[in-house]
Amino acid sequence: MNRKMRDNILRGIIYLTAFAGMFMMVAVLWEVIQRGWPALSLEFLLQPSSNFGAEGGLLYQTLGTIILMAGAVLIGFPVALGSALFQTEYVRSEQVKTFFRAIIFSLNAVPTILFGLAGYLFFGVYLATGVSWLTGALILAIMILPTIQASIQSAIECLPEKYREVGMALGLTPWALARRVVLPQCWYGAVTGALLGLARAAGETAAIMFTAAAFSGATWPRSFADPVPTLQTHILVLAQDSADAVSQTNAWGAALVLLMIVFILILTSLVVRSRFSMEAQR
Amino acid sequence: MFSFLVPDRRCHADPMFWITVFFAGLVLLVAIIFFSYLIFESMPIWEQGVWAFLTSVEWEPAEDIYGAGAMIYGSFIVTTLALLFALPFALCGAVTASEFLSPRTRLVFKGAMEIMAGAPGVVYGLLGAALLSLWIKDFFGLIDGATLFTAGILLGIMILPTIMTLAEDAIHSVPGEYRDTALSLGLTPLQAFLKAVAPRALPGVIGAVLLGLGRALGETIAVMLVIGGLDIVPSGFDLFSPGQNIPSKLGREAAEAIGSGLHWNALLALGAVLFFGTMLLTGAGSWLLRRNKV
Amino acid sequence: MNKKQVNGFNWIKMMNRVLFLAFFCLGFWSVGIGFSSADEIKTVRVVGSTTVAPIAARAAEAFSKKHPGIRIVVNGGGSGVGINAVGRGLAEIGMASRQVTDKEKKNFASVHLTDHIVGRDGVACAISSEIFNAGVTQLTREQIADIYSGKIKSWKAVGGPDRPILVIDKEKHRGTRHVFMEYVFNDVNARAKGAKLITGSNNEERSKIAQSDSAVGMLSAAWLNADVEGVALKKGDTFIAPTVENIQSGMYPVIRDLLFITAGEPKGILKDFIDFVRGEEGRSIVTESGYVFVPGS
Repeated sequence: MNRKMRDNILRGIIYLTAFAGMFMMVAVLWEVIQRGWPALSLEFLLQPSSNFGAEGGLLYQTLGTIILMAGAVLIGFPVALGSALFQTEYVRSEQVKTFFRAIIFSLNAVPTILFGLAGYLFFGVYLATGVSWLTGALILAIMILPTIQASIQSAIECLPEKYREVGMALGLTPWALARRVVLPQCWYGAVTGALLGLARAAGETAAIMFTAAAFSGATWPRSFADPVPTLQTHILVLAQDSADAVSQTNAWGAALVLLMIVFILILTSLVVRSRFSMEAQR
Repeated sequence: MFSFLVPDRRCHADPMFWITVFFAGLVLLVAIIFFSYLIFESMPIWEQGVWAFLTSVEWEPAEDIYGAGAMIYGSFIVTTLALLFALPFALCGAVTASEFLSPRTRLVFKGAMEIMAGAPGVVYGLLGAALLSLWIKDFFGLIDGATLFTAGILLGIMILPTIMTLAEDAIHSVPGEYRDTALSLGLTPLQAFLKAVAPRALPGVIGAVLLGLGRALGETIAVMLVIGGLDIVPSGFDLFSPGQNIPSKLGREAAEAIGSGLHWNALLALGAVLFFGTMLLTGAGSWLLRRNKV
Repeated sequence: MNKKQVNGFNWIKMMNRVLFLAFFCLGFWSVGIGFSSADEIKTVRVVGSTTVAPIAARAAEAFSKKHPGIRIVVNGGGSGVGINAVGRGLAEIGMASRQVTDKEKKNFASVHLTDHIVGRDGVACAISSEIFNAGVTQLTREQIADIYSGKIKSWKAVGGPDRPILVIDKEKHRGTRHVFMEYVFNDVNARAKGAKLITGSNNEERSKIAQSDSAVGMLSAAWLNADVEGVALKKGDTFIAPTVENIQSGMYPVIRDLLFITAGEPKGILKDFIDFVRGEEGRSIVTESGYVFVPGS
């Protein structure tokens, strides 16, 4: 009896703490939604901002964020896919595989602000892309490379051995094997990787704040050399003006929009993964 | 020379092979350029004395005096605080989800956590600057809410879902037989967890915590907005004092020094320290996680 | 399977592949170089002081309306960032709310940083309105120096309520800090041992002072409002408040020029834009932003 009671009390404490943790997450969401919702309207989403962000909407900020994240995935995805296929399809030696894994892994561990610094100097200054959306997309592409590649690779590694054996028995070249067997079975890994990459790029601020973003005057880029305004840097600037009511409303509105973009991307990736990875294992 | 590759000569005539080689080489090149840049550009600082740079708390760009002590201390304190704050919630959440929830509820719970783990740092920054720092200021009767403590709590909330979902993976991956055996011996589910599952899940859980810490250590924006930005080591471990950590310092000063001079070298030396720290944490973390899976 | 395809190591094909890869690399690279060497500048990048930024942003908006082909992008960051950006060719115009330091001149000796005065502004010693209303409406230089060096810790010592002072400092490269520290300590890089907080932009500084009920900071006079009041400073025997009139007449003791900085003499569209800001349209923009217009020169 005593033992059971102690058990129940302990369990109660665990539940309660877990609940408190969940409550905190919900509170975070609630604060953003409750404060951002009043700002949201069609005009807010479709108007350019003016007067240093204190007035107007988010049109170009949202577009800028989308340009950057799409650019990053467009650049990063082929590289990640190619490099993942090289490692899973062509490399035989375990040491080389481990070496590549370590490289990808250390890229993943790099704090994003360092990508901002080094990337800016490499692309912006040496390759003369300046403060522009291209610089930002290139930097973000490097940043999300490990995310995409890990997703593709883990999907490929889940492929049952017999698929591969059948392909080899048919005398397929490694590439034919990859194209006819591996990719059709593991495409969900590429899709989830791309989606997670988009989400990561959309949520990143430190890597683009002095490499790609402009606060005022920038709109739809007309060339590679133009900077874009982004939701992330917009929020960053407005967050520093926390005594001004209008800026604050706009900041929360922008935060809500950004959060929704990121959440929808991650949610889709989760759905794709749970749907199709199970099918692949069947 | 190419003996590490698949022994299929047909590859060499296949354009796709060369394309994948090119992309893999590109990844390698990026990593090499990045790491060597970090090392070479921070060399002038290391030549002046590694220990002096790491321990001195004086940072005066105008006089070319650079010491990283305050930033390293701040990073350490903030990350530790984040850990202490997030740990109980994350662990209890992970245990509850893995052991006591129905498979369906667990999936929803996990999904929610994975989504929350992707929430952008700048949103947390806004929460911190507009709400948390004010709450902390009023609650503790401080002169201002921008303190090491605020930054630590904010980071704790931020890494909570990351640690929770990774730790849950580690606990859940312990084979069911252990639970069944323990249950059949007449233990309650909780005891079964504590006695049979927890010891086996421990390395994985520690790995999850270290990965979360790696994220906390490298976060820039959220910290930058609430830490106070003062390069000091407060006396007597005063948590309610403003401070500075490495990413926040980089975020605030990099644009001014970009590209040249000892100031830039010093900032990159800070970056190298930060990189070394996150590598250590995430390296140990994923090693433990992978060992756990095998 | 075709036998030729399997065994033959086709050198022509191989060369094609190598060329393809080379072109691929070249493509990446040329994208970087190609557009930076365009003959005429169509996008003008303006970077730097957040004090000057409102002038630049408003002027850019008006100027772009007149010249639809031109895009002027304005970014903050601080005076140091602006000067560095122009020096390194990362921006066409740097905004600064202070003079270029000797160190910066030395660093960028090759580009001949040239400054253009676009307005005048006072730097206020700004305090929370609660303190101002409680009677601290003027401070001497010595008092401010003592506050910033940490000798005075309570408002009581300067005639206010018995409340600790939240001393707010700014990032070291900021123009406002240079000018303010020059006035208080005669040293642009003076250390402020009493500081409890470091802020960056004018917005950040102002909102920190407004959020607190016992803060002191340094702020461009144009940023003062009902929550953030500027104390009167001593000049000779009288105390002068940081009002537009006093700044315009030159009575207020801490006055600085707001600058556009270019690499060498501006040409073409850069010159047009700078002339625009310093001309008649510029007058209303500068005044509207809360600064004093400096005619001609």
